Amino acid sequence: MSPGGWARDLRMGLRFAFSGGREGWLRVTLTAVGVGLGVALLLLSTALPNALSVRDHREKARSDYTYAPTPPPRGDDTLVIADTNTTFHDKDVRGRLVEPEGPKAPLPPGVDRYPARGEMVVSPALERLLRSDDAALLRQRLPYKVVGTIHESGLIGSHELAYYAGASGLADRIDGSQVARLKEYGSPNPVAERADPVLMLLNLVVIVVLLMPVAVFIAAAVRVGGERRDRRLAALRLVGSDSAMTRRIAAGEALAGALLGLVLGAGFFWVGREVAGSVEVMGVSVFPSYLNPSPLLAALVAVAVPAAAVLVTLLALRGVVIEPLGVVRTAKPARRRLWWRLLMPVAGLALLAPMIGKGRGNGDFNQYLVTGGVLLLLVGVTALLPWLVETVVARLGSGGVAWQLAVRRLQLSSGTAARMVNGIAVAVAGAIALQMLFAGVDADYTKDTGKDVQRAQMQLSVPDGRSVTAESARFTATKGVRRVIALSEGSLGDAAWGAESGPEKSTQVTVGTCAALREVAALPTCRDGDVFALSGSEYDQDATALATPGRVLHFSPRSDEGTDVTWTVPAGVRRADSVVDPTGMRRGGFLLTPSALPAKAAAQVGGQLYLSLDPAVPDAAEYVRNVAVSMDPLQNPSVWSATERSRGYDSIRTGLLVGAVCVLALIGASLLVSQLEQLRERRKLLSSLVAFGTRRRTLSLSVLWQTAIPITLGLLLAMAVGLALGAVLLRMTGTAVTVDWTSVLSMSGAGAGVVLAVTLLSLPPLLRLMRPDGLRTE
Amino acid sequence: MIAPAGSLLAAHDLRKAYGPTVALDGAEFSIHPGEVVAIMGPSGSGKSTLLHCLAGIVPPDSGSITYDGREMATMTDAQRSALRRSEFGFVFQFGQLVPELTCVENVALPLRLNGTSRKEAERAALGWMQRLEVDDLRGKRPGEVSGGQGQRVAVARALVTGPRVLFADEPTGALDSLNGERVMELLTDAARSTNAAVVLVTHEARVAAYSDREIVVRDGRSRDMERAV
Repeated sequence: MSPGGWARDLRMGLRFAFSGGREGWLRVTLTAVGVGLGVALLLLSTALPNALSVRDHREKARSDYTYAPTPPPRGDDTLVIADTNTTFHDKDVRGRLVEPEGPKAPLPPGVDRYPARGEMVVSPALERLLRSDDAALLRQRLPYKVVGTIHESGLIGSHELAYYAGASGLADRIDGSQVARLKEYGSPNPVAERADPVLMLLNLVVIVVLLMPVAVFIAAAVRVGGERRDRRLAALRLVGSDSAMTRRIAAGEALAGALLGLVLGAGFFWVGREVAGSVEVMGVSVFPSYLNPSPLLAALVAVAVPAAAVLVTLLALRGVVIEPLGVVRTAKPARRRLWWRLLMPVAGLALLAPMIGKGRGNGDFNQYLVTGGVLLLLVGVTALLPWLVETVVARLGSGGVAWQLAVRRLQLSSGTAARMVNGIAVAVAGAIALQMLFAGVDADYTKDTGKDVQRAQMQLSVPDGRSVTAESARFTATKGVRRVIALSEGSLGDAAWGAESGPEKSTQVTVGTCAALREVAALPTCRDGDVFALSGSEYDQDATALATPGRVLHFSPRSDEGTDVTWTVPAGVRRADSVVDPTGMRRGGFLLTPSALPAKAAAQVGGQLYLSLDPAVPDAAEYVRNVAVSMDPLQNPSVWSATERSRGYDSIRTGLLVGAVCVLALIGASLLVSQLEQLRERRKLLSSLVAFGTRRRTLSLSVLWQTAIPITLGLLLAMAVGLALGAVLLRMTGTAVTVDWTSVLSMSGAGAGVVLAVTLLSLPPLLRLMRPDGLRTE
Repeated sequence: MIAPAGSLLAAHDLRKAYGPTVALDGAEFSIHPGEVVAIMGPSGSGKSTLLHCLAGIVPPDSGSITYDGREMATMTDAQRSALRRSEFGFVFQFGQLVPELTCVENVALPLRLNGTSRKEAERAALGWMQRLEVDDLRGKRPGEVSGGQGQRVAVARALVTGPRVLFADEPTGALDSLNGERVMELLTDAARSTNAAVVLVTHEARVAAYSDREIVVRDGRSRDMERAV
């Protein structure tokens, strides 16, 4: 067949697609909407790497951490900048106090001019938030006048909350970390971080798992209206087109839907891109301009989707005998063969097998083998499912009328049913494997902080020079604070700390009221003036030796200019056993009640406040932050959590969740379209069944069975493949294989839920189609 | 309205419109047990609508229909469905067999919908298939049989419940004359043997010849015709 002939037939198909009247347009539109949704998701996926890279570049471009041991000298091109990040209602606010030291001080990206003292420039999202009614506490915390906006180039997302506020006197507080002097923004020594191979593996698998169902979905979408199309094709045969020509014309019709789908997909993507700029998912937002698909990948989508439409149609029509008259589908299609369907998952396992036991320590995983292996295993689901459905439904016995109608329908055309649930099965198989992998490596990326969140939920340091007692009292009086444990902490050594040799032995010293000290040690009796030497600490080896009455010890100075302050271990020092303190540690060294601390030593210990909040006051943490900032603008009290997780791991997990929701919604939409299409095809039959008295309940139940049987089989297969893939992935990362049945069942449940929702949504149209109007022919 | 004496199914002053299109405009109808009545008329005259109203598939806008002395308008949808299941039988132009069920399962379907066990329903179905000379098709699906055979299977399905009224809407419309005549012979013979009334919608005089009486519908109005002998 010449390319010219191919083109002619495809063109004819294209024309037929649009000249079929209302019916034809509806079919093309349904196909195009399906393909369009898939294309939009593909374009979005191709745009995501770019979006993440732009975010990363912007973050690096505005970096103001120097970590320099000595700051550069003050000049007309320097700036002092202080990190004043805060949190408001669980949302991070990036805050900076800035003090340009000359006219040539570098401007941060996205800022036109420096705000004066008492003024600030803010991100649009922060500006909106500050204007809102529920931001009164944040307005108190940021009492600066808004004089400008941070432009897009200075932000990493449309919903980022950020500000630069003018300040003075920051130079005195330069410490190289929280407060720094800069000559330019940007990371001074950019170091390419070596990606964790397991995180890379997770990333790869997440992408494959999310994109596979989209591909399956597109393949299903181009076959919308297949049955009716087959009947139309018979008419073409009647007027003289040969079998191959007819198939090419059919492919041309599918091509029409795919091409229109590409246009719609571009439109959906454009709309989605704008919408993406206005939403925030799990704390991540982007600007629409970040979401530019890579031109090469976009071109690939533009070529692959129409090509796939043609190929899928030609493949689908392989088993259809289009005759000029009547029956167009072979009444009994050839039985599906298992051997080649098994080849795919087996080949997938074979690709992954060499990486089993590699673990984290042996370099990167081969991404081609990983992608290929996972892809083949998941494609294996789509190949095995039609065989499984055919084999099982062939053996199903008869039951009630609804069951019989459903089983017989599945026996006659199990391929359609299997195609409908293929997407769900692939998504569930992938999700189960990923959940297993996540659950398996979770412990590696989740650290127990050891903090006792029952005893305290927030912590902050009292700035040097401030009275711990007074600040503790301020927080005690703060709304929502139930209790404050105030402890001052320092170190004692057996020699002066400034001396060249320094102390040989040193230990910890903790100062607090008897009530506060009881949080760190078991004290039988305690009065102000008492001193205790602690035992029971895991790491403090020197305490016992130093706790000799009469021994002179030296306080560790809090700054380089600090003077040597000594303290003599009193004769009345008593022994006490340490207990696990709120931070999860067993302290060692000395416990001093306030009167036991020499007045000169007050500056040598740093105050820490551990706050217990009242859960009945929802804004308790915000009140605390406001009081802290009023005490010192550089204060950012930390909120305790029992565990903390790696950021990279968390963002991959977030990505999976967001992607899984999108994919399931997409598949649900596709299922619904296919379901409605099938019902529409059977409208006349449904009406005649109702005419001779079939209960609507019977027909509804039969529709439910028709979906429930293949989905049950699909989910069982998905569980088997998902568990196999999950086990292999875990073995690859060198992790013990365990099955998290809750995740497996919840993933399968989510898949089943989508099907149930689709069936319920298709019931009203089903009831409408069962109306006797369907019998009208004139 | 008082139905004509002895009539099983009667309609008086039926009106039905689909949007601006008037399908029935004061139509009258009656049929006695065992009688075969042909409803004739050109395309779009309202004859199928009349059949659908008589069978309780479509409610008329106004007028009354009585079946066995009961006013159909007073019946609920479930009651009308039950009536169609147990007392009426249907044959449509294209058979409307369920493509995924075998022929015997198709014939047994109305009995199964009435709660008869599968075995018993299929035994009765096979009996009717024998009478209609299609018992050799029992295991075949509708897609594997010819139009005439399929229509005979549809007649068997319509008669399997022992209906008192058989509604046939252009039952031979899709068949050649030879097949059409055979289907009509079998249908009317079977109906007469069970004393079932047959409401036969057709536009072919050849088919109407199998009836005892003809009613012509034109522009939604019906007219009883004398049988020309």
